[in-house]
Amino acid sequence: MKNFVKLAVVASAAALCLVACAKQQQPQTEPEAAPAPAAAAPAAEPNADSLAAEQARLEAERLAAERARLEAERARLEALINQIMSEDVYFDFDRSELTEKAKELLAQVGELLIKEERFTITIEGHTDARGTEDYNFTLGAKRAMKVKEFLIAYGVDGKRMDSVSYGKEAPKVEGSTEEAYSQNRRANFRVNIKE
Amino acid sequence: MEKMRFLASVAAFALAMLPVTSHATIDTIAVDVGISVFKTMPIGVVPFAEKKSIDWIEEKPHLIVTRDANLSGRFDVVSSDKFDLPLFSKTHAKHYITGKVTPVGKLLKVECFLYASQTKDVMLGESYTVEQKDMRRALHQFFDQVIYRLWGERGVASTKLAYVSKIDGVKQVVVSDYDGFHRSQITRDTTISMMPVWMKGNAGLYYVNFKTHRPKLYSKTFGGVERSVFPQLEQTYSPAVNPKTGELLFSSTVDGKTDLYIGDPSTGRAKKFAYLKSNQTSPAWSPYASEVLFTSDRGGGPQIFAMGKDGSDLRRVTFMGRYNERASWSPEGDRIAYTSMDAGHMNIYTCALDGSDIVQLTSNAGNNEHPTWSPDGKLIAFASNRSGSYQIYIMRKDGSNVTRITNSGENTSPTWSFFYDDFKQPTKGR
Repeated sequence: MKNFVKLAVVASAAALCLVACAKQQQPQTEPEAAPAPAAAAPAAEPNADSLAAEQARLEAERLAAERARLEAERARLEALINQIMSEDVYFDFDRSELTEKAKELLAQVGELLIKEERFTITIEGHTDARGTEDYNFTLGAKRAMKVKEFLIAYGVDGKRMDSVSYGKEAPKVEGSTEEAYSQNRRANFRVNIKE
Repeated sequence: MEKMRFLASVAAFALAMLPVTSHATIDTIAVDVGISVFKTMPIGVVPFAEKKSIDWIEEKPHLIVTRDANLSGRFDVVSSDKFDLPLFSKTHAKHYITGKVTPVGKLLKVECFLYASQTKDVMLGESYTVEQKDMRRALHQFFDQVIYRLWGERGVASTKLAYVSKIDGVKQVVVSDYDGFHRSQITRDTTISMMPVWMKGNAGLYYVNFKTHRPKLYSKTFGGVERSVFPQLEQTYSPAVNPKTGELLFSSTVDGKTDLYIGDPSTGRAKKFAYLKSNQTSPAWSPYASEVLFTSDRGGGPQIFAMGKDGSDLRRVTFMGRYNERASWSPEGDRIAYTSMDAGHMNIYTCALDGSDIVQLTSNAGNNEHPTWSPDGKLIAFASNRSGSYQIYIMRKDGSNVTRITNSGENTSPTWSFFYDDFKQPTKGR
C-alpha cells in the first residue's frame, strides 16, 4: 500500500514537473520557429537555402542544449523531491510533539524549501493502526500541523504549505507489530511545483 | 421481588400495547430488567411443509426464521421436525412458527404462521408470493410481525447495515441486510471510501472519500448519484445524522484544528457547532436529538463528553482509562456504547449517561470496535478481528450471543439503518 502511494506520489510530482517544464519551453521556441520560414520565402535569394539550413542547425543545437538543461534541471528537482518525500518524520504513540531527530530532518527540508521557491508541499499526517478512524484523523492532523508550524518558524512561507490528515488509512508498513506501528506514526510530504 | 418485577413487566407491556387491540398472551412477555439481564422467550420452529419438491438455492424458510429468532436477541429457538407438544411444553415454548411453501409457476407462495402451542390457534398469518431470491426478505417481514405480536415492539429483521468492505484492496462502502445477506456495493472509487452513516428515512448514505487527497464528505441516495456535501469546508469526516431533522453533525479540520460543525445537507449551509479549545470528533445524537455526545482531547487523550444541542451543560462522561472514543447513544436513551483502548487492544463498553455503571461487553478476543445500536436498542453490531481478519458481528446489548454475520475479505465500521417506515402493523390472526 505504502509503495503504491509513494509511487503514485512520485509519478504525480514528476508529471507536474514535466507539465511545468513543457509550459515553460513553449513560449521560448515558438516565436523563433515561426519567423524563420516567413523570412526565407519572400527573400528567394540564392543562399537562402544554406542560410535556412544554418539557422535550422543552430536552432536544433539550441533546442538540444535547452533539452539537456531542462533534463538536468528536471533530474535535479526530481532528486530534491525524492529527498523531501523520503524524509518521513516519526512520532510517539498518541503524541504529536516533534522529536529531536524529527527537528533535525525538518531543518533540512526547510533549507531545501527556502532554496527552491517554486516548491509547494502538502504535509500528510498519519497514525498507526491502533484506535478509531475518527480520533486518528484528528491525531494525524495535529502531527501534520506540528510539522507545518516548525517549518514556518524555520522560515518557510506558510502559504506554500498545506496540511492534511490521512488518519490510519495509508500505512507505510502493513502489520500489527510495534515495528510497523512506529513506521506508520509519521508525517510525510507531497511536493508540487508552482509555475 | 420477582412478583414486583412481573407486575412491572405486565404494566410496561400493557402500556406498550395500548394503541393496538391484541389478545396476545401477556403471561409470556419477558422484559429485560437492568442491562445485564436479558430474558428471552422460547419459541418453537418447525420446517415449512412443501407442496411438490422445491429446488432450494436459498436457505429453507425455517432456517431463515431460526436465524432471525437467534439474532433478534429476544428468543430461544426450540427446533423440532414437527409439531411436538410435549417438547414445546417442557421448554416453555408457548408459540411456534411454521408454514407452507407452494410453487406457483416460477414463484413461490410462502405462507407463514405463528401458532399458540397449547390451542393451535393461529396468532398471525402472512402469505407472500415471491421469487425464491426474495423469500428471505419476505420472511424477515413476517418475523418482524411476530416480534410485534409477541413483544408489542418493532423488530429489526427488515433493517440493514452499512459498512466498509475491502474490495480489490480498496475500502468501499457497502450495504447488506442486517443478517449480512444481500450485500450490495455503494461506492466504486479507486480511492478509499469510509465512515458510512444512514440518511434520515434510509434514502441513502453519507460517507467519506479521499478522491481529492483529503477526507471529504459525500452523499449518495440509493440508485442516485454522488454529491459533495459541504464542499466549502476543509477536511470533513465523522458524520452523524440528526434522527429528527436529518441535519449532519461532523468534524472539520482546518490548520490542524478539528471542530464540530452542524449543517443541513439540503441547503449546503454549515456552521461551527461549538467553540472549544480542544479538538472534537465522533459526534453522536441522543435519540430525540436534544443532546450530543462527542470525543474531545482536552485531557490529552480521547475522552467522551456530552452537551445540549444548544451547547449548554458541557460535561465529561468517561473517566476510566486513557482512551475512550466513539460514543453512541442507545435508542432507549439510557446507555452509551463506546470503544476503549487498554494495553493496545480495543474493546466495547457501555455505561450510564453519567459515566457510571460501566459494563465491558467484549474481552480477550482481538480488537472489538465501532459499536452501533440496532434501532430497537436490543443489539449492538461491531467489527472485530478475533478471527484473524476484521469481520462484522452482532451481539445482545449485554455482550452475550455474539454472532458473526460477514465471512470473507475485511469488513469494518458498521452502522445500523433506522427503522424502515413502511412497517405495517400485523393484521389479526385468521
